[in-house]
Amino acid sequence: MSRGLSVDPSDSVPLWKQIEENVRRLVASGALKPGAAVPSVRDLARDLSINPATVAKGYQRLVEAGVLVVKRGEGTFVAEKPPALARGEREKELESGARRYAALAVTIGATNEDAMGRVERSLGFLRRKRKGGVE
Amino acid sequence: MSGVVEVSRLLVRYGGNPSPTLEEISLSIPRGSVYALLGRNGAGKSSLVRCLLGQQKPSSGKCILFGEDVWKHRARLMAKVGVVPEDPDAPPSMTARQLSAFLSRLYPRWDEASVFERLRRFEVPADTLFGSLSKGQKALVSLALALGSAPELLLLDDPTLGLDAVARAAFFDELVGELADRGTTVLLTSHDLSGVEKMADRVGMLKGGRLVLDEDLDALKGRFRRLRYANEQTEDPALYGQELSDFDAVRVKVRGWGVEAVVSNYGDDAFARFAAKEGVVDAEASALSLEEIFVAVAGEASPGRNT
Repeated sequence: MSRGLSVDPSDSVPLWKQIEENVRRLVASGALKPGAAVPSVRDLARDLSINPATVAKGYQRLVEAGVLVVKRGEGTFVAEKPPALARGEREKELESGARRYAALAVTIGATNEDAMGRVERSLGFLRRKRKGGVE
Repeated sequence: MSGVVEVSRLLVRYGGNPSPTLEEISLSIPRGSVYALLGRNGAGKSSLVRCLLGQQKPSSGKCILFGEDVWKHRARLMAKVGVVPEDPDAPPSMTARQLSAFLSRLYPRWDEASVFERLRRFEVPADTLFGSLSKGQKALVSLALALGSAPELLLLDDPTLGLDAVARAAFFDELVGELADRGTTVLLTSHDLSGVEKMADRVGMLKGGRLVLDEDLDALKGRFRRLRYANEQTEDPALYGQELSDFDAVRVKVRGWGVEAVVSNYGDDAFARFAAKEGVVDAEASALSLEEIFVAVAGEASPGRNT
């Protein structure tokens, strides 16, 4: 169940943020379908041997963003409807994601063409996967 | 609200020693957090731990647990603290079962069933003499006993020292479960920095008796980076590193291909300006693990001291 939810402590991205991003990625790709249960905070913390407070922080942000919903006594699930971000929020998320990727591309010396091509291919892949439900 | 642990201006000086072992340390650990105390051998970790357990009288300053002075109210406060010592020192001729029975008379909230439940999970025999157990088993018995009193504060003094990978994983697993179930506050000293990196919220680093770092782990990891770049401004290696003036460089090394530096105040914008500087070529920044940060900070010569 925690497949695809691994974290890398040596990454500069905080662990809770890695969890948040991984869940978003799994939801975006359709690997986690609307309504699907996600591992409990305790189980995921144990699987990854990380502080449960770290997992809880990542989940909390996802609940606030509407990606996950908590059903009392049942657990945590992927929301039935994809979250609608407020426009300002959406712009901010896109902008900061783009900046991070651009910084990475420049640091490792990728050409603009190479960097843009990869974004397009990733977008295409995610959209096809969502539509076709390819695993 | 004040923290579970409040250390204020704690000074410890052992007789005849010219420089104090701990120099006015102050730190605070909020309820439910996991605080990792790091430092090389001889940095003062053990003295701080002894003060927190009321085993060492501060020369000046205070250790406050749950709002009360440890040195004055040791017996009462220790009932709320579970301890896993570096070297588990239970009597070798007693079994875990006998140790639990003994401790149940000392702690008002002793939960014997939970002790045996944990020992079963750890696959450690309850009826083997403590002295005949392996090092890993001793650590796990110590942990089961430390949790038997349902402590509000768990103090782990390098609990995984000398344990193999499987025993370490079992130990941290149990700790994760404990944190998830009860949100116990934890103070942890450890040499296993990759274990600490996943578990700690906050990190303190002692060096030569001083607390040189006391910071949230996320913030700490956010401001340290390794920079690598070639310098085409000067041919003279002695002048390398000057271009780093906008950063606090903890360490600068000149390599064959250029310069490698560890900086402690990284920022994306500052780095973009740096990379665009004349003479700076192929600049790249990479994140550091807690272990690398520790080596960079703890390994740096501290001014005015020789230890």
